[in-house]
Amino acid sequence: MSTAPPSRKEALTSFIQQIHGRPVVVKLNSGVDYRGVLACLDGYMNIALEQTEEYVNGQLKNKYGDAFIRGNNVLYISTQKRKV
Amino acid sequence: MTSVTTNPSTLLPLELVDKCIGSRIHIIMKNDKEIVGTLLGFDDFVNMRLEDVTEYEATPEGRRITKLDNILLNGNNITMLVPGGEMPDA
Repeated sequence: MSTAPPSRKEALTSFIQQIHGRPVVVKLNSGVDYRGVLACLDGYMNIALEQTEEYVNGQLKNKYGDAFIRGNNVLYISTQKRKV
Repeated sequence: MTSVTTNPSTLLPLELVDKCIGSRIHIIMKNDKEIVGTLLGFDDFVNMRLEDVTEYEATPEGRRITKLDNILLNGNNITMLVPGGEMPDA
């Protein structure tokens, strides 16, 4: 399995470094969006977010100072240009 | 394992995906979701880095479209990858 060229993965590792400490959107499989500042991310896609806002169907439902998201629920992590 | 990798006439599935790096790709997910974007890279789990992404969700109210700049997509829910495919209308 270790035959994969490292260049394949480079775009992922650079993205992870890039988004550290930046505002991101995390979408879960359930369709719920979490917008916040990415504090931490691991190989399971477990995520720690700060200043988190919870959006259900595009509407703000809740705010959390700090939030931990278990990686198995994560659909994607996206960059966020500015608050929409 | 080694016989597969050394035989030049066989292409490993992930090598096919590797050929798509830099081009548009259509991703069909589990649970009525499809994603179109430019593939920048992926890992052994087929987690993917995508750019200029459009996400299509089938909802009871119709199709919901979300545009995204740059994403790290979890490979866990991917069903199929279609190279070069743009989303059909309809």
